[in-house]
Amino acid sequence: MTWLVWRQYRLQFVLGAALLAAFAVLIVITGVQAANQWHAAQAACAASHGCQNLFLGSHAVGFLVISTLGAPVLVGLFWGAPLVAAESEVGTTHFAWMQSVTRKRWLAVKVGWMLLAAVVWGGVITALVTWWEGPNNAQQLDAFNTGRFDITGIVPVAYSVFALALGIAAGALLRRVLPAMAVTLAGFIVVRGVIAFWLRHHYLSPVTVYHSVIRSFTPPGSYWSLASGVLFPNGQPIDQNTNGNVLDGVPVNYLPASCNQVSRGAFTPPPSCTQALAHFRGFLTYQPADRFWTFQGIETGIFLFLAAVLIAVTAVTLLRRDA
Amino acid sequence: MTWLVWRQHRVQYLVGAALLAAFAVMIVVTGTQVSDQFHSAQAACAAGQPCQHLGGLFMGSRVVGFLVIATLGTPVLVGLFWGAPLVAAEAEAGTTQFAWMQSVTRKRWLAVKIGWMLLAAVIWGGVISALVTWWASPTNAEQLNQFDPGRFDIMGIVPVGYSVFAVALGVTAGALLRRTLPALAVTLAGFIAARVVITLWLRSHYISAVTTTYNVLGNFTPKGAYWQFASGVLGPNGQQLPQPNNTQYFDNIPQAYLPRACSEVTGPNGGNPTPACVQALSHFHAYLTYQPGDRFWAFQGIETAIFVVLAAALIAVTAVTLLRRDA
Repeated sequence: MTWLVWRQYRLQFVLGAALLAAFAVLIVITGVQAANQWHAAQAACAASHGCQNLFLGSHAVGFLVISTLGAPVLVGLFWGAPLVAAESEVGTTHFAWMQSVTRKRWLAVKVGWMLLAAVVWGGVITALVTWWEGPNNAQQLDAFNTGRFDITGIVPVAYSVFALALGIAAGALLRRVLPAMAVTLAGFIVVRGVIAFWLRHHYLSPVTVYHSVIRSFTPPGSYWSLASGVLFPNGQPIDQNTNGNVLDGVPVNYLPASCNQVSRGAFTPPPSCTQALAHFRGFLTYQPADRFWTFQGIETGIFLFLAAVLIAVTAVTLLRRDA
Repeated sequence: MTWLVWRQHRVQYLVGAALLAAFAVMIVVTGTQVSDQFHSAQAACAAGQPCQHLGGLFMGSRVVGFLVIATLGTPVLVGLFWGAPLVAAEAEAGTTQFAWMQSVTRKRWLAVKIGWMLLAAVIWGGVISALVTWWASPTNAEQLNQFDPGRFDIMGIVPVGYSVFAVALGVTAGALLRRTLPALAVTLAGFIAARVVITLWLRSHYISAVTTTYNVLGNFTPKGAYWQFASGVLGPNGQQLPQPNNTQYFDNIPQAYLPRACSEVTGPNGGNPTPACVQALSHFHAYLTYQPGDRFWAFQGIETAIFVVLAAALIAVTAVTLLRRDA
């Protein structure tokens, strides 16, 4: 059976391995440059301020790194969807299921090897991207943001496994390759979109910190900011969509006249203004940076669970179907 | 023949039309909200007050904003699901043998199929681009970024060119490889490669960029949505000064390169430069290299033409391959 899997899919496996190798070469070369740049710059601005101008890596590689958002679905499209559907379409399942190998074993070995390949695919890509992104994350502290979170850590492995399972299940149910691919693509995007935009920030209750508007508040590390704003002394939020002058997030028409001069160019507000400002509170709702790996674990768990359900659906469908 | 095309590809056309309709509803509903917000905000700051807080205007429709950016990928869908199977699926199943033995000539079979597919691709790209261009116009008016890579690519007429190219690429890959799955893979990879190479390396050279030099103490911002390539400061001898990355600077001139007369302007006690400093700084020149905003449609036209020519070449390859091949 293992030999059969290799013979049937060697082209796909070899192509996948070649893509991984090309990606690895590119990432390692540019990543070493970026890391060197980063360490040199870090030494230069040891006082840890004003390092915003550092640009790491080239546009093209940065674009490639972001586009690994789409890498998991490729295994679903080109490995998963044809696994059962291509054989059903040309009728070779009739032949395959009449051999001495049971249908259960046929499915288990095929799906098993494919899952392993998907884990390798997702794991190698995310290992390279996570390493490449190291300096960027340290500088911009955006590892937790939607879009960065999704290409680093362990979640890309789970996405790949899920995409593969989705492709196999769609192929087993629809029995035709092209519709199965369309369903895999649409299903993957919908599930990822719904979970990333609407579910992820609910994994753990966010933390809300209130602070005086005079002192700004920044949590340590790569926190994920969900909401921020300024409250009136009575606790009402202030509408930030104003076009007038604003001082520390408070529109100046809510402040005494002494503050109005501040926004015209003086440097330190007079005490009467500071006193008025002290009644306003700012708030920041966020997920602390040290929850990064918890969130990665929860998201990985969700996608692995979905993948397991899809594989179970495939198994039930195929084992019940008449050859 | 037209009836045959409709019968064979009606599922694909109906799915495509349903996706377009769903997208249109979402874009029109959220786009009306956005443009209302924009017009009321514009009226509020008509007195010429700074409107910098308009940046928070689109926070409510982050998901739609993501969807709009994701239309970068929509042209390749028609290449994958309409173009690649057009010949390959029939070759794989052997139905080309049947189709090519009917009274309809092979040339006519190909011309009608490809003709309808190209028309469908134009509609697909055109409707999506029209919706996105309309939706994004307040954002463009506010942020002046429609010439930037990534924005340029989802507006105007180029998405139509991309869609036509994607279909032609899919058809050609299918005709040459005669198998659907490899044709899909080649279409996906080829589309991304062509788009990336042209966007990142070719587009900036369509017309020579404009470089404007100005006094470092002054400010220069071109009109409209210009596309910026490079900016910096030239020293008194015309040499390029390094970017002030992590050092103190004044008007983009790093501390080490400032004339001695300007030693007071940086640091915590910095203030306005002395007349002697202003005099010394007049030998420094700032420059900006960019494509002016009024070249937007010229660039759209050139890029569309490139992709349409590529599509025509691919269709020609398909025709030659299929008409020469033995049934």
